[in-house]
This record gives sequence, structure tokens and C-alpha cells, in this order.
Amino acid sequence: MIKVTNFTKIYKLSKKQMNEYKVKSKEKIAANRINFEAKEGEIFGLLGPNGAGKTTILRSIATLLKPTEGTIEVMGFDVVNDSKEVRRRIGFLTNDLKMDSHFTPDYTFKFFGKLHSLEDHVIEERQKYLFNYFGIEGYANKKISELSTGMTQKLAIAVSLVHDPDVVIFDEPTNGLDIITAKAVTDYLQELKKQGKLIIVSTHIMAVAEKLCDRIAIIINGVKIIEGTIDEVVSDSDALSLEDAFFSLYRKHSKEVV
Amino acid sequence: MLLVIIKKELKRVFTDRRLVFSSFILPALSIYLLYSLLGSMIGNLTNNIDEHIANVAIVNAPESFITYVDEYNKGMPSEESVGFTMNAGFSSEAIDSLKEKIKTGELDVLITFDKSFDEAVTNYEKEKHPNINTFFNPSEEYSQTAISGIEYNILADYQNQLLGERFGSVSALTAFTLNADNQDNRIAEEGKEAGLGMSFMIPMLLNVMLFAGAMGIGMDVIAGEKERGTMATMLLAPVDRETIAFGKVISLGIVATLSAMCTFGAVIASLPNASSFLAAGADVSLDSLAFTPTHYIMLLIILIMQVGIFVAVICLVSVIAKSVKEAGTYISPVYMLVMFSAFATVFTTGDVELYKYTIPVLGNVFAIKELLTFDLSLIEFGVTVGVSIVVIAILLKLITMAFNNERTMFNS
Repeated sequence: MIKVTNFTKIYKLSKKQMNEYKVKSKEKIAANRINFEAKEGEIFGLLGPNGAGKTTILRSIATLLKPTEGTIEVMGFDVVNDSKEVRRRIGFLTNDLKMDSHFTPDYTFKFFGKLHSLEDHVIEERQKYLFNYFGIEGYANKKISELSTGMTQKLAIAVSLVHDPDVVIFDEPTNGLDIITAKAVTDYLQELKKQGKLIIVSTHIMAVAEKLCDRIAIIINGVKIIEGTIDEVVSDSDALSLEDAFFSLYRKHSKEVV
Repeated sequence: MLLVIIKKELKRVFTDRRLVFSSFILPALSIYLLYSLLGSMIGNLTNNIDEHIANVAIVNAPESFITYVDEYNKGMPSEESVGFTMNAGFSSEAIDSLKEKIKTGELDVLITFDKSFDEAVTNYEKEKHPNINTFFNPSEEYSQTAISGIEYNILADYQNQLLGERFGSVSALTAFTLNADNQDNRIAEEGKEAGLGMSFMIPMLLNVMLFAGAMGIGMDVIAGEKERGTMATMLLAPVDRETIAFGKVISLGIVATLSAMCTFGAVIASLPNASSFLAAGADVSLDSLAFTPTHYIMLLIILIMQVGIFVAVICLVSVIAKSVKEAGTYISPVYMLVMFSAFATVFTTGDVELYKYTIPVLGNVFAIKELLTFDLSLIEFGVTVGVSIVVIAILLKLITMAFNNERTMFNS
């Protein structure tokens, strides 16, 4: 279970960043008093436009960022005080995740397996399963620099799941992926859900949310606007579809000062 | 876990042929070729000067001097007798044109005698002492070498001969001889002389090499990983960030040491050719350096301390920088400081005060220099090692803090 309570994240801006964002304040509130819970066996989606604060929330759950205020618990462990325990239980996937192009997929997978303190035979089994699932086995001993973008992305996903985590966090799961890789990824997320894993994804694509998510939270300007199943969100917004609901809420809330 | 990270970092370096070539083979090969070439060029230059027959013009040459030079040449071994070509027979009118020839290097030395020199020498009680003027070109190696030979050997000996004739015996003018039966007047502890020779350049070279070896790879190990985005992937693993930081520092230390060893090996290999400028001409080789095992252990400890400081500084700079390019900008002033510390010791003579050993980096360079001359005391050794340990500990703490700082690690 992931429990986010009054989560607030404030970034301190450099002068360069202040000029870039055209703001006078030295601080930017990326997430403001966010609350939600996600449970095992469901896919929870954070839906919002670019810059809404989705990635900040996910990175904080993944222990890469620390909350300015509030708490986040993953499977009962606090992301600040028990960050190592949290990292043992999560797989964080993002398209920004890069692999060292000098190594082979085989070495990279084994290296991350060892970082997760897995036994050699466990690493072998996971590698066989994931490489087979994502069709990487034929490229295991090539240098990553020689792989296609899609294959490298699939490897990044496989490496992130080396330790068979209970919680999978996926920032923009299909962004930048080719259609075949995107299908493989969404299918795999459904498969993980069937296995009882907790999956939390962020997206700005309505179709992805509709296809994947059991429940969603819409985030605009760092604030959670609404949370529920897709049907609940649509009906609470007096809309006909998720897309209508999103734009209706966006028009209403996007100009509010955070 | 630390070992897993160290192995990965070492594999990253040693399986990259370009990195191996640029960090280990190229510097060593360049140093060997450069030093050997410089050494042999300096050797050739010295031989060339020694073999050069100086062209000397003499104005108003007196009979006594012409006779002296003839006798001098007859009395010298054949190879030394051809050191000068004396062209007598010039008159005072030729002085200006001969001086021009010295300027252009056509002529090495000009000697002008007063007119009626022999008569003036004979009538020394009634007349003023006769004078000899010499002219040479200080911008010409041949001319510079020839003038000292002319003044200190030829003219001084010629004067002794004239005085001998005046007083009836040269022996009467000789109170003592100097080192006439002493073939070798150099007394030093075995090996210490070689150490003194090496202490001029070796500490400087070692420091520059250690830093340069760590710098190239060091920036890539952390700043490169941040730039490529592979650092974030690593930080998601359930490993303490301290462990990741130490793993990188230790592996970089190993790489820097190996790189410096390769380069130092090249320096040692080039010594037979390069001792003329690397060790002030002293006979230097590891055989001639009478180090005991204790000396080697002390040297090793000092070098490890120095590597520790260098690597920690480079890692700290790389953590703060967003890219390899930015790290390069930050590291340049640090490199200048290291160079300054290294060169400062080359021109230092005499005892090194104890407080100098408390200056990080510089203290270690002084310690290596003093160790090579067998003058490093245990207290001085202890001070420099102690200070280095404290500095390394502070730097490691700062690196760890930087690794835990999300603004530093995820600046964008």
C-alpha cells in the first residue's frame, strides 16, 4: 500500500530558473498537500498536464526526492526514514532511466541484481523470464550502444523489475515508446496487476488512463482536484467521458493560484 | 555491496579500449618518448659543445703567448689539444670587425693584448702592468664555454708561466696543489646522492601524474553518470548513497594509482637517457637509490594519502557539477593549485619547517622530497599523514552530503 499524507514539495529556484519560469518568487510549489492511497492489486493513475507535479510525486515515492512537508509510506515504510527498505520494495520506471551504453544487457541486469542483494540463481531466473518476455534474450551480449531505442527502453524496464518489486511506479509508461514496446509494457502492467502488485502510473494521455487505471487522481498545478474510479470522476464532473471531465476540471482550476 | 560497485567501475574503465589507451598507455608512452628524446638532445648538445673547436682570434699576440700556445697544444692529449684554434696575426684595426664576427657567431672568443706586451711584462718594475682584454658572446653556447676555458685554463696558466720565468721557478709560486692525488672527492651515504638527484623533479612529476591520471576518468565516473542519467538508476537501488560514493572514490583511487604507476614506470625507464634534466645529472636508478623497506612503505603511504586527497577533490567537484564539461571548468583551478604545490618544492632548498607538513597536498610533496634525501623524520611523516587523513575524511563527508542532496543530484 502507498499512503500519501499532506505531501507538499517546494523547490528552491536559482536565479537562472527564476528567469526561465518568469517568476519573482524564489520558491516553486510543485505539490501542495496531496493525499491519496493506492492498494495492492490495483493500477492507480496520476493524471495531469505537463508540469502539474506528477513526476515530483512519483519521484518522492521512489525516495529520489524528500517531501518538504507531509509523509509518504510505501508498504508501511517511510520514504525518508526507511528509504532503503522502500527501494527494496519498489521498481521505478521512467523513460529518463538510462543504462550505461558501454555494458551489455546481460552485465547490466546482473549488476543491478547484485545491487538488490539477489542470489545468482534468482538473478538468472529473473533474467531468463524478463528477457524472454520483452524479447531481449537475443541481444543479451551486445553492447547497449548497439541496441535500438525501443530495445534499450525494454531493457531499462527489465532492469527496474529485476527484484520482482511489490510496488511498480511508472512515470509516463508509454511516452516515447514505439507502438510495439508500448503494447508490451501496458500488457506487462496488467500482468503485474493480476499478480497482486501495486502499480502507480502518471500520464497525460487519457486513453492510457482509461485502458490501464482502476482509480485515478487528477493533479493540476500541484493540487489534487479529484480522486476516484474513472466512472466516479466522469460522473462527479458532469461529463460524458474522461477527456471531457479532465478539460472541464482543467478550465476550472488551471488559473487558480497555488 | 561496496565491492560490487568497485568492480563495476573498474570494469567500466578496463573494458574501454579508448579509456585504457588514453589513461594508461598514451601518458606512459608520451613521457618515455619525450623524456628520452629530451635527455638525448641535451646529451647531444653537451657533447656537441665539448667537441666544438673554438675559433679564437688574437690581436697583437706577443711572441711569448704564441710560444705558450704551441707548447700547450703539444703537452695536451690530442683530443683536448684541438679545443681551440688560435688565429694570431690580427692588428688593433681589426678589433671592430672581429667583434661583429663574435656577434654573428663566426668567432667564439677575441683576445686583445696591449702592444709591446712582452716588453711591458719584462719591465714590470718601471712600467704599468700590461692588459689583456677578452670578448665573447653570452648568447652563444660555444662562445660561453670557450671563454671560461680561455680565462681559467689558458690565460691563468700563461700568467703562471710568465711569473715562473720572472722569478726563476714555477714551483716557487706554488704553495699547494688541490686534489692532485684525490680521484674522487665526493663523500655521501650510498644512494643518498641518487636520492638528492631524484628529489628535484620526481616529487613534482609524481604529483602532477597522480592528479592528471585521476582527473580524466574521475570526471566521467560521477559527472558523466549524472549527465548520461545513469546515476539516478543507481540511486534507486537499495544501497546507501555513502556506499555508492565510497565505491566510486575507491575505484577511482585504484585507477589513478595504476595510471600514475604506468607513467612513473615510464619515467624510471627513461632515466638512463633523461637523468641530465630529471635528476640534475646525478647517477639515478632504483638500484642506486638505497631505500630500505621502511622507506618504500613510507613512500607508499604518502602516495596513498595524496591519491586519496586528489580523488576525493575530483569526486566532490564531479558531484557538484551537472556535466563533465562543467566539472572540467571547476577542476582546472584545482589542477593549477596542484601544479603550484608540485613546482614549489622543486625550487626549495634547506630544511623544511614542520608547519609546512600541515598544508594539505603541499605537505605530502615535501614529505616525498625529504624522503628521497633520507631527511624525513617520523614526526614529519606522522604530521603529513595525519593531516591527509583528516582532509580525506572531511572531503568524504562533503561528498556523502552532496550525494544525499537532491538539489545537487537532480539539479534539473
